[in-house]
Amino acid sequence: MVELEIQILSSRREGLLVELGHVVVANGFTLLRQRVYQDHQGAWLVMVVRGEPAKQLGIEEVLATHDRVLSFEARLLTHGAVTQAATSCAPAIGSAPVSISPVGPDVQRVESMLPQLARDYPKIYPWLLALEHEVAAEAREASLLLAGRRTGVWVFKRDYEAGGKLGLADAIKRIAVPALRSLVAVEVRDRQLHMQDSPMCPRGGQSGCKFFCGYLEGMLGASSAPQSVFVRSLHCRSNHGTADCVLEVSH
Amino acid sequence: MPDHQHYNTWLVLLSYLISVLGSFTALQLAVVIPLASTSRQRMAAVLASGAAMGVGAIWAMHFIAMLACDMGMPVTYDPVLTALSAIIAFVACSLGLFIASSGAFSWAKLAAAGICMGLGVTGMHYLGMAAVMMAAYATYDMNLVASSLFIAIVASIVALWLAFHLRGRVQMIGSALVMGIAVCGMHYTGMAAFNIDDNGGQQPAGFAHGMRGDYLGMTIFVVALVLLAAALIVHYKRQQRRAAITI
Repeated sequence: MVELEIQILSSRREGLLVELGHVVVANGFTLLRQRVYQDHQGAWLVMVVRGEPAKQLGIEEVLATHDRVLSFEARLLTHGAVTQAATSCAPAIGSAPVSISPVGPDVQRVESMLPQLARDYPKIYPWLLALEHEVAAEAREASLLLAGRRTGVWVFKRDYEAGGKLGLADAIKRIAVPALRSLVAVEVRDRQLHMQDSPMCPRGGQSGCKFFCGYLEGMLGASSAPQSVFVRSLHCRSNHGTADCVLEVSH
Repeated sequence: MPDHQHYNTWLVLLSYLISVLGSFTALQLAVVIPLASTSRQRMAAVLASGAAMGVGAIWAMHFIAMLACDMGMPVTYDPVLTALSAIIAFVACSLGLFIASSGAFSWAKLAAAGICMGLGVTGMHYLGMAAVMMAAYATYDMNLVASSLFIAIVASIVALWLAFHLRGRVQMIGSALVMGIAVCGMHYTGMAAFNIDDNGGQQPAGFAHGMRGDYLGMTIFVVALVLLAAALIVHYKRQQRRAAITI
């Protein structure tokens, strides 16, 4: 389990906690502490939540892109620090927002790049490489993962949504592979995808196939039943010096 | 084909074309049924695709093929049975498409949907043939009747598999071409099973009040126009929806 302290700025206070509290619960997290206050910038909501590590990026993405959220910051709390965080933020939030260093994706940069990415799809590598260089090193992988997820869901809805709900193996074969082939040469062996010469993974590169992991998670999560799909990089030519990048898909 | 049946090749080709057009419209409406957000939307999509398949692809195809067939004697059609044959096709196809489009893909569901559609095609055909009024006795070769049912079911299953399991052009075009084969394959096998025996020139009761071929031709023309318009609207709406999806 991970515990996150999330700070959100919204334009108005009414219903903020109820609305975003539902989002937290719907994404499999438990709300441990919360505090709402108002200042000259707007309404602030500080929440301490607990949930599975695998769902961290998902909840961050949903909250960061929620229509009531003007700004979003989150930080990972060390285990057992919840009580301390909740009590320590109580006096602080009376006057000014607590200082929180961003963890996870650089949502703002990803969001600003996505429209260009949609416009130029599938010729998107210049945008992705630019994103890779623009974001802070600690946010790089998470940002590429987020961009990949959003792109995967978008491509699925645009081109592959009409039809029956498929099992994972069929969704890989009928949807993910044809879609991925518009971006990179790929072969499928069982539930492993072998990508050849991925422009995102030059030798010594830093992205670690994260864009493609997110792309496949977004696409397969939206297309297959059940919806929880995980993709991990078994080999990346940027790290292992192998010719192919290998991604493994699992439930 | 039996000696008493002579076909106009162009009308036969037209019958396949109309079944493909109807199938295309129906299956393109059907593959978006799972995307319906309310039960009302879902029901509307099921009924629209059932109508395109039952009335367009099957019923209209059947009567174009009947117009293509010269049996060497005047023929009229019982209006009640003719209307009933359209209703049977519509209901069976709506049910089949409803089953095929609900929940996750499974072979059992596909088989059930294919059997519904196959029975719909076959039921429509033989009820449509029962509506035929002419100065002769009609008999059937039951082996060929069974074959026609088998063709309709198997080809329907294949067409539904293509429509709901695949994506892209094969899904769109392939499923319609195969469903056209299901409908036409069933019809012409059923016609091969159809034999007539002389009854001494005795016309059945109601022959004079039956629908003549030229009336059917007009009805089919209207159905074809509606199908074409529906296919264009489906295509336009899909392009509009595709453009509206934001990343």
